[in-house]
Amino acid sequence: MLANVSSQIAQQLLDFFKQYLKGCLIPAFAPIPDEVIRKRLLIDGDGAGDDRRINVLLKSVTKWCNSTGTPEEGFTQYQRMMGTLAQCEFSMGKTLMVYDMNLREMENYEKIYTNIEQSITSAHEKIAECKKEIQRAKRIRKNRQEYDALAKVIQQHPDRHETLKQLEALDKELQLLSRTKENVDAKLELRKKQFHVLLSTIQELQQTLENDEKSDNDDINQESPAENGE
Amino acid sequence: MGPVELLHMSVFSQSFSPCGRFLAAGNNYGEIALFSLSAALSPDATALSQKPVLTFTAHDGPVFSLLSNDSQLFSAGNGEISCWSWSELVKKNAKPLWTKRPNYKSSLEIPEINAMIINPRDNSLVVGGGDNNIHILDLEHGVFKSVLQGHSDYIHCVSVREREAEILSGGEDGAVRMWDSRTGQSVHCVEIYKYESCARPQYGKWISCLTTDSDWMLCGGGPSLSLWHLRSLSPTSVFPLAGCQRQAAFYQDMILAVGEGPFVSHCLLGGEVKAQIPCTPQSLNTLQINANSTEHRVLTVGGSSDHIDVFTNLSYKTFSLSF
Repeated sequence: MLANVSSQIAQQLLDFFKQYLKGCLIPAFAPIPDEVIRKRLLIDGDGAGDDRRINVLLKSVTKWCNSTGTPEEGFTQYQRMMGTLAQCEFSMGKTLMVYDMNLREMENYEKIYTNIEQSITSAHEKIAECKKEIQRAKRIRKNRQEYDALAKVIQQHPDRHETLKQLEALDKELQLLSRTKENVDAKLELRKKQFHVLLSTIQELQQTLENDEKSDNDDINQESPAENGE
Repeated sequence: MGPVELLHMSVFSQSFSPCGRFLAAGNNYGEIALFSLSAALSPDATALSQKPVLTFTAHDGPVFSLLSNDSQLFSAGNGEISCWSWSELVKKNAKPLWTKRPNYKSSLEIPEINAMIINPRDNSLVVGGGDNNIHILDLEHGVFKSVLQGHSDYIHCVSVREREAEILSGGEDGAVRMWDSRTGQSVHCVEIYKYESCARPQYGKWISCLTTDSDWMLCGGGPSLSLWHLRSLSPTSVFPLAGCQRQAAFYQDMILAVGEGPFVSHCLLGGEVKAQIPCTPQSLNTLQINANSTEHRVLTVGGSSDHIDVFTNLSYKTFSLSF
């Protein structure tokens, strides 16, 4: 019974190893290219790992199949083989998990990469916005400074209300003074006329007096030659 | 160009190409050098990219003024104006499109041309120079269409007040005159040195720099650099800068001024000097901001040295181009 089971297992194992060796032996009969050697060395260069384990397992299987000895020895050998097989399976499981992990890390990196790209574009946009803001702020500052400069000049001139008030006061004073001037002028005219009347009356009186004197003298002169003539 | 010539070189004028990738600079030997800004500003620039890509002799005398419009470069030197095509210059073909001379009254001596500006309203070139007059050249027909007379001494600088179609000119006689560009009459005449706040009698009364942005005017030279409000013709701020300023410009909310002294002065409109950034030449003659290109927005200054300083950030000098 054990022999049957063992021969079945042996057959299965042999099939599996044939498949595996197809990858190994065929190149062994053909000139092995460098790439393959490099890859195989990379995977298991020192010969202390899976490759060796599988080779040892294969040898032990063939030995066990062709072994002639006690069933206990055969059983222990079988146990040993199962152990080695379990070890191979375990290491294969480990590599599969590492492969999964690498795939997931790649995905993670891709995600981070897209995130960073997005933040770069948004930072670019923000920079453009800020540049526009700064242009606007500079324009505003320029306008404010122009306003300040003009205001400075305007402040130097006196206030409009003050000037208007001064102008009004000056106007009133001007009117007052012109009215006074008119009055004085009118008085002057009046006095001039009065004096003129007075002076002309005096002159007329003088003239009349002179005329009277002259006519008196004439009368006397006329009388005396008339007396002398007689 | 030997080392002695390089030592005595002065850069008098600069102009950026319409695409914004090239800078033309004129010096006192009559040469114009073309620098490639895109090469000098690129990340892999070498010492060679700070040298001109093309140098040619444009005039017999110093090139006092350079000006660019959409496709052409105008240069003034020795009393004549030459026009060059930018596309030809970029292909290293230095042949002028035309050379014209304004009608000078006296033919004995040829007065130099100190300043040029383009009046965009009627596409004309306004030229001011040593014969105390302003000549206006119609660019469409290529003839000098009018002469503005009024200054009693030679003209240092001209500017155009776009909104009101006026031309401003400042000269050695200390007067800033405003001309109506349509009738050619002098609208205002402001004698800066007569204002006590601006006058500096120890430097004289000449006006060497004039710039305007339609409402405000900056002028300086012998008198201090001052900001004037044009509508009321009154000085609003006077900038306490030592030395005579040779060129000033409005930039965003600041005023940039260069003149005597190895620095670029940044001033605020209120009248305070915010910063003075040191540069290579001992005294500066010209200041230009590249407004034609967004990625090469630089400030370049040139003066009494063969180096032209380039500022990518206004606060410090980035590198120097050299002849």
